Amino acid sequence: MRDVRVLIVDDEPDIRATVSAMLEIEGYEVAEAANGADALHVLEERRPDVILLDMRMPVLDGWGFAAELRRRGHGTPIVVMTAARDAAHWAAEIAAAAFVAKPFGFDDLIAAVEQVSPSA
Amino acid sequence: MTALELISLANQVLFVGLFAAVLVRALGRPSRAAWDTVLLFGSIAAVVVLARVSGWVGLSDQPWLTGVTLLLLSVAPYAMIRLVDDFSRTPRWVLPAGAIAFALVGALGFVAFATVPQLYEIVTIAWFLGVGGYAAYAFGRAAAESGGITRRRMAAVAIGAVLFIGAIVTVFADALATGVSFEAVPQLAAFFAVIAFFVGFAPPSWIRRAWREPDLRRFLERSLHLSALADERRAVVEIQRAAAAALGATGASIGLAISGRPVLRYVGQDGEWIEYPDDAFIAGRAFREQRRVVAMDATEADPENAAVYRLNAATTVIAAPITSEERRIGALSVYADRAPIFVEDDLWLLELLADHTAVLLESRKLAAVESSLRAREESARLKEEFLSAAAHDLRTPLTVVLGQAELLERRAARDPTAPVDAAGLSRLAREARRLRELVTELLDAQRLEQGVAVMDPVTTDLRGVVESVGERYHTQGIDLKTVVPDAPVLASVDVPRFEQVVDNLLENALKYAAGSVLPEVTLVEDEGEGRLTVIDHGAGVPEDERERIFDRFYRATNVQAVTDTGIGLGLYICRRVVEAHGGRIWVEPTPGGGSTFIVVVPAQRAPEPDAPAGATVTLPAISGEAAADA
Repeated sequence: MRDVRVLIVDDEPDIRATVSAMLEIEGYEVAEAANGADALHVLEERRPDVILLDMRMPVLDGWGFAAELRRRGHGTPIVVMTAARDAAHWAAEIAAAAFVAKPFGFDDLIAAVEQVSPSA
Repeated sequence: MTALELISLANQVLFVGLFAAVLVRALGRPSRAAWDTVLLFGSIAAVVVLARVSGWVGLSDQPWLTGVTLLLLSVAPYAMIRLVDDFSRTPRWVLPAGAIAFALVGALGFVAFATVPQLYEIVTIAWFLGVGGYAAYAFGRAAAESGGITRRRMAAVAIGAVLFIGAIVTVFADALATGVSFEAVPQLAAFFAVIAFFVGFAPPSWIRRAWREPDLRRFLERSLHLSALADERRAVVEIQRAAAAALGATGASIGLAISGRPVLRYVGQDGEWIEYPDDAFIAGRAFREQRRVVAMDATEADPENAAVYRLNAATTVIAAPITSEERRIGALSVYADRAPIFVEDDLWLLELLADHTAVLLESRKLAAVESSLRAREESARLKEEFLSAAAHDLRTPLTVVLGQAELLERRAARDPTAPVDAAGLSRLAREARRLRELVTELLDAQRLEQGVAVMDPVTTDLRGVVESVGERYHTQGIDLKTVVPDAPVLASVDVPRFEQVVDNLLENALKYAAGSVLPEVTLVEDEGEGRLTVIDHGAGVPEDERERIFDRFYRATNVQAVTDTGIGLGLYICRRVVEAHGGRIWVEPTPGGGSTFIVVVPAQRAPEPDAPAGATVTLPAISGEAAADA
């Protein structure tokens, strides 16, 4: 076990489930949230090491979540995960550590998460 | 030299000068009216010259000379009624009667002046007051009835005629009433008369310019809003009206060239375009020859179209080409039921109006080009957005399909004996189906756009459609409220397509009104129409977007943030399908919040009670059975 906790924030349940399964099989510990507001709750309970963040979500979107995260003083690295063409741009906007553009494959996802994971 | 003598001299010089001016004009542009003007001032000038010359050579006392002078003097009223006839068609007997009266008055001058001068003087006063007065009145009426420069010049002519008749009558009255001297009055009256005649018949160019300006300004003011008029026909009609008003003409007509075809098109009485060969009518001549054309008598100048001119009361037609730089846009013609005396001024103004018309029409065209460019840009932008949205929508399910497939692959590689990941497989299958639906939707939109959507309408009971959709949702665990009437609601619809409409509306209702009260579907028959409503209690559609949401690729601003999915095709497809059924679709706010989408399609009458059994489509089966096809 790597003992790295990843929080997956995406409003699409199938995306959450798939990404969870991909990370779990690689030995990550995962938590899920359906939007930014949800994620803020989960955040305090689970203290993730990495956050995989969709940008366009109802209730609280990626930008709002990232701002609130920083305001609360968390330096957790964020990996932006979006289907939009502006993935890189959006990642820069919220000072994310990395991004993966949907549709990403298994290796793309793992590489991005590994890259930003705190070294064990 | 006394002041009176000075005025008298000025009068003589001015009348002779005026005669010269109208003579030059008549020679330059001969017309009956021009020659009648020459007749009027020629006779007066002759009287003046004769008096001068006879004074120098000492012939003043010759009785025959007096006769000739009196004869020449009595020409004026006759010339005036001829002028009246030139512009306003007097009754047929007026001119012959005037000529006979003129001959009698003239002869009387020779015969009776020496013997019974009083008789002659009374007859002359009657001649001037009666005939001259009638002419002055007719000029005045023509001024009141016309417009533009013509009106001002007519008014000047009427004033001149009154003053001139006043002057002559005073001279003769003076001679009759011995002991009273009006010497200064006729001279002053004649002086102002000649000034008025000058202004009326031969105005200097600065007066013309000043006169033309208000007409031109009025024309431009009337035409200013034209670029905002969407329909070119209405713009043309407006310009015609403005041109006719500026010239004081009966009417005007604009013929517009169509590039590559030898025709001019006009706006007909019914407001529709009519095409004529580009050399037809006087306007066609002006267009073909690219010069102004004057037809004092249109029926004579263009006998082929005489009937048309008569129908429009167009006696005189003047036409000028409408040209912008080298581009031949068309021709402007103005017609009047009388031959204008002042045709040269009208021509000047007409050419000016034709130039302005060219500018107006060109600027309209530019505005149209600009807006079509903008529309094209907008459509290109929408297409771009569509592609990006479509790509986005495809990427989300594709992420699941790809990720899940690779996951399964990896799992199998690591542990071939591991149990099947049922949840993962069903995610994979579900998202693959979603991909298929998206692709179908995209292709549908594309097909609808090209107008080749297969429509296979059959007479169907819409209750069946509503209920089968409700049933389908029920199997997914969603219990929609459906309200249908007791009697069948028959309409000719393409069932799969119509179901797609209801599906799309319900999907939207569920997607954008998630978590609230479930949407409701109702069906009623109302005034020969089947009316289907899908009521949700979601966010609603902002008022200014209620029409645009049915546009292709358009997504309401308040749902864009809610979810990434959706490419703005659902409602567009709904609208296209409903319209293909001859129906309408629109959205209204639901009282208390949310949207109510309403679909209306023409209903068919229920079959007769004795119709063969089974002819009606029964619930909930959707079949191709056509009950009322006949």
